[in-house]
Amino acid sequence: MTVTFQLNGDRCRFHDDPMTPLLDVLRQEKFLTGAKAVCREGFCGACTVHVDGEPVMSCLKPVGLVSGCSVTTIEGLSSGDQTLHPLQAAFEAADVVQCGMCFPGMVMSLSAFVRDNPEATRPEIKTAMSGNICRCTGYERIIDAVADHLEAQKSGRQAKETAHV
Amino acid sequence: MDMREGPERIFDSVATVAEAVDARAAGAAVLAGGTWIMRDPRRGVALPERIVALSKIAELQRVDVLDDRVSIGAAVTHAGLAQAINGLAGLEGLAAAATGAANPAIRRVATVGGNLCTLDFAAADLVPALLALDAQVELMVADGGRILPISTFLAERAVLLKTALLTRVIVPRAATASAHVRLPLRKAGDYPVAIVSVARASGGAIRVAVGSVEPVARRWTALEDELSGKAVTPEETQALAEKTNDFMGRDGIEAEGWYRREVLPALVRRAFAALQKGGAA
Repeated sequence: MTVTFQLNGDRCRFHDDPMTPLLDVLRQEKFLTGAKAVCREGFCGACTVHVDGEPVMSCLKPVGLVSGCSVTTIEGLSSGDQTLHPLQAAFEAADVVQCGMCFPGMVMSLSAFVRDNPEATRPEIKTAMSGNICRCTGYERIIDAVADHLEAQKSGRQAKETAHV
Repeated sequence: MDMREGPERIFDSVATVAEAVDARAAGAAVLAGGTWIMRDPRRGVALPERIVALSKIAELQRVDVLDDRVSIGAAVTHAGLAQAINGLAGLEGLAAAATGAANPAIRRVATVGGNLCTLDFAAADLVPALLALDAQVELMVADGGRILPISTFLAERAVLLKTALLTRVIVPRAATASAHVRLPLRKAGDYPVAIVSVARASGGAIRVAVGSVEPVARRWTALEDELSGKAVTPEETQALAEKTNDFMGRDGIEAEGWYRREVLPALVRRAFAALQKGGAA
């Protein structure tokens, strides 16, 4: 069976078993190795990608179900040569990354979260991260960086509003 | 990429319930969110050769909130359900179950129907919540539909689901408050060791349901009988739960059976404390 979907803005075709995990298509077929294959049971979040803008576990997503959908991986958020996503920049500025294994998933989960919850509190940030496991246990600094990022976005919005008065 | 040997798998993404029922009759396994079935290979179970996907059937994605009931399509996700019933009086327990299960990414994908139809999933959160609210399920076969109480469905689902497709869950809005208390070993993400869901009907009658302790969730009728017509404190309900604890705990990765059984009275106390405050937890 052939499955067609958008992958990081480009049209993508996959011709094989529709029950293949999206994660394996990304990593083995498209060589997009940002999403990590760690637990493969929807527990650790290291394989998180966006499907139609929503973070989901690509290990448990049969590629047949993304037919006609838009898939964004960490590589699609920013190639690294381009300007980073503001949350990635905040993580880099706060030197948050430790071993890095959980990070593509953390960024994919939390970039959607900050988009949808600009006023989030620390407990809400923690709840949003509950499906992304960091074996280095570097959670507090990640939460700090997300909180800083939200604060910066808020100040930016307020400054803009003041300028328009 | 050579992903598998043998003939090509049949994967039908159909647009209507009728087509899904036909595919089911022809032997196709039902694929909703996929969060359970995609782990079959890790359990040593081969994926089905023929699959019918429900994700393109619009009517199964709907939640209809009416004055006397809420109708929930089988392919509604946990996140979708939580959003649709947020703030509805009496359904606090169901909202808490939909909000607290698994983790955010799974809740965006895993469906109500999947939670009810996965025979081996003892720790399903929505099942005890729906039992406490006295929900009904709608099943479709080729010659029509039937609606049956969720307790009947749970008792007979292994046979019923050989031919039928679960299409809707109907939750009566007869409860004035409900609560859902779960005990995962970590704060989030784990399967709960035990789950207690309670609901109070407008006449005062209490329903209690327990999940994850036995292989299939069930009502705690011995406790309900003890509570009948009494006004009791959460501490007194805990004592009654100790007296009427007739559960046989299942052994599992998270906990042994005796532990699942032993924590129930404390969870009952917490559930009734939440109920006193108007629900949720």
